[in-house]
Amino acid sequence: MKEITNKTEKQDRFKLKTLFETSRLLIESRETDFVLNNLLLITMGKMLVPRGAILIYEPGNKKYLVSKIKGKAQIKEGEHILIPWSPNQFEELVIDPLEKGIQTPELFEGANRGLYFNLRTSDHHLGYLYLGRKGNDRVFTEQEMEFVESLTIISSVAIANSRMFTEMRAINRKLDRRIYELNTLLDLSRDFNLMVDREKIASTLKFALLGQLMIRKFFLLYDIDDNLVMMASNGLDRQPHENEKKDIFSLPEDVLLMEADHYKHVPFLRENEISALVALQMGSDKTAVVGVSDKATREKLSQSDFNFLQSLGNLAVLSIQRSIFLEDRIEKERLEEEVNIAKTIQKGLFPDHIPSISNLEVAAKNVPSEGVGGDYYDIVETPDSNHIFAIGDVTGKGIPAALLMANLQAMLHVLLPVEITLSEATDRINNLIFENTPSDKFITFFWGKYFHSERRFKYINAGHNPPLLLRNNGDEFQNLEEGGLILGAMATIAPYVETEVEIEKGDVVVFFTDGVTETFNRHEVEYDEKRLKAVIAEQKHQNADKILNAILNDVNAFSDGKLSDDLTLIVVKGV
Amino acid sequence: MKNFDINQREIEQVQVLDISGELDAHTASKLEDSLKTLIDKKKNKIIVNCRNLEYIASAGLGVFMAYIEDVRGMGGDIKLTNMNDKVYNVFDLLGFPTLYDILDDEEEAIEQFNNSAQ
Repeated sequence: MKEITNKTEKQDRFKLKTLFETSRLLIESRETDFVLNNLLLITMGKMLVPRGAILIYEPGNKKYLVSKIKGKAQIKEGEHILIPWSPNQFEELVIDPLEKGIQTPELFEGANRGLYFNLRTSDHHLGYLYLGRKGNDRVFTEQEMEFVESLTIISSVAIANSRMFTEMRAINRKLDRRIYELNTLLDLSRDFNLMVDREKIASTLKFALLGQLMIRKFFLLYDIDDNLVMMASNGLDRQPHENEKKDIFSLPEDVLLMEADHYKHVPFLRENEISALVALQMGSDKTAVVGVSDKATREKLSQSDFNFLQSLGNLAVLSIQRSIFLEDRIEKERLEEEVNIAKTIQKGLFPDHIPSISNLEVAAKNVPSEGVGGDYYDIVETPDSNHIFAIGDVTGKGIPAALLMANLQAMLHVLLPVEITLSEATDRINNLIFENTPSDKFITFFWGKYFHSERRFKYINAGHNPPLLLRNNGDEFQNLEEGGLILGAMATIAPYVETEVEIEKGDVVVFFTDGVTETFNRHEVEYDEKRLKAVIAEQKHQNADKILNAILNDVNAFSDGKLSDDLTLIVVKGV
Repeated sequence: MKNFDINQREIEQVQVLDISGELDAHTASKLEDSLKTLIDKKKNKIIVNCRNLEYIASAGLGVFMAYIEDVRGMGGDIKLTNMNDKVYNVFDLLGFPTLYDILDDEEEAIEQFNNSAQ
């Protein structure tokens, strides 16, 4: 008897020890899989049961996942089965289908002869440990049942723990990710602020999104002054055509997931596996559209991914707009600066004072327009004490025009002391200009030499608006148009022809640039030569200054003071 | 400019980029240039040794994303090695270990390149 008791005690102690060690092993484990595997193997080994399974309840589909199954099974691990009774139907820790007379799933042949041990915590049903019949077909002893039940309870707690741990870990990771996203936003908003180069901002946006969202395909389509520009892209097989750009830009109001229709409509999106378009905004205006593919892992982007994309994208847009604004301003300032330089050059070219010439009254004026035109005029004394009158208009505006004008002036002044005729001098000037300027640069030019003692005026007109001569006793205008080709168009072939007129007392000659005749009024009507002639005819008895002012006033009144080009006038009157 | 440097070595026809310092929006273009140069020369077995990399931002990770497919398309790979825990955490957080070989040691990466070549 004593021996038997001893043996029983020993067995009991052994069981307790196993139970204790097993429970420690299970509780400390954070892996559900490890817990389940051990629960099944330990109970099967201990009970000498050749068939066993762990069935895990999935509340979502109300089915059971065959998590572990050992023995000659009819179902594989990973499959799902239905158990034809509800998890709430039986409170008991152990369910014996035979005793209850209920159907069970066919895990094994004759599966309803086994027992279902309920895996549950105080408020959750987790699943079942299924144990088949013993190999020797004996029934479980009371002690054995207690052992399995204890282990079942411990395992359930361990599973619940490990699930909680997994969940916590997932939540923690999600939190870490959110924190990382926020840090990225913060860092980049600071970085963007330091950048002025819009290409750099766009490229930073690109790399940050590729990295943060693990995407490979990306583009940023930007609206700059109604031009759609691909400012950055990655992984594209080709760039979109203009009409595709327009379609892409007009599509999304917010986040738009691509569907078959979009792909059909815009092949570029399908060809490049773009799966979503996101509108970026500046205030309430759509300024740019970002296109992205799925993640490189084939996963779809989540709502929080899109939130991140939009936040970062809008930050980038803000900085890009600022840089565009800045560039515009710098460009404007540069242009203003250029205009100022050109104006300074031009001003330096005009004569500081008008020399007094016997037998002539002279008045001259240049009125610069908003920008800088290419007008030029000069009145210079020659070595033989006569005078040269010159007027011209260089094509183009700004610094290039001003420099060409300066060249012309320099040539004129260099040639003055040389003993050559007007015709020869014009030949040379034309050749020099033709050889030294681009083919689209010309100068319309008129010049003449006034011999005061003979009251004669010898002139050459090289493509300039003909000066108008009105005789004191006549009312017909004479156009001083003889000469030759416009300067700079081609090398001199035929010599420039000199023509001579006399300027008698009371005769008036008016030299002008197209700024006078090609000024428009608000009805887009041109102030043409007719009006100019009318003013001259009416004013011809006045002195040169008054005639000049009368013309200016008339042009100003006609155009409401809005000149479209420079305007230059020289009025000469014989006295 | 923040401190970020790249040194290039070649070991058994594998290109090793030793990157050090902080890889972020400002310095990402340096790494981009280096990778581009290697790809242009068709040198597609690339190890990026991160032993002295102290910090990496999303834009830095993005550079790896931008070129991995080109390199793999040519039959090569970009393998990352010797990261410190802080840097690895960022890669891990964004899911990069599923796409990239991230190895403890440069030797391992060289071995893998050599094995796959045979």
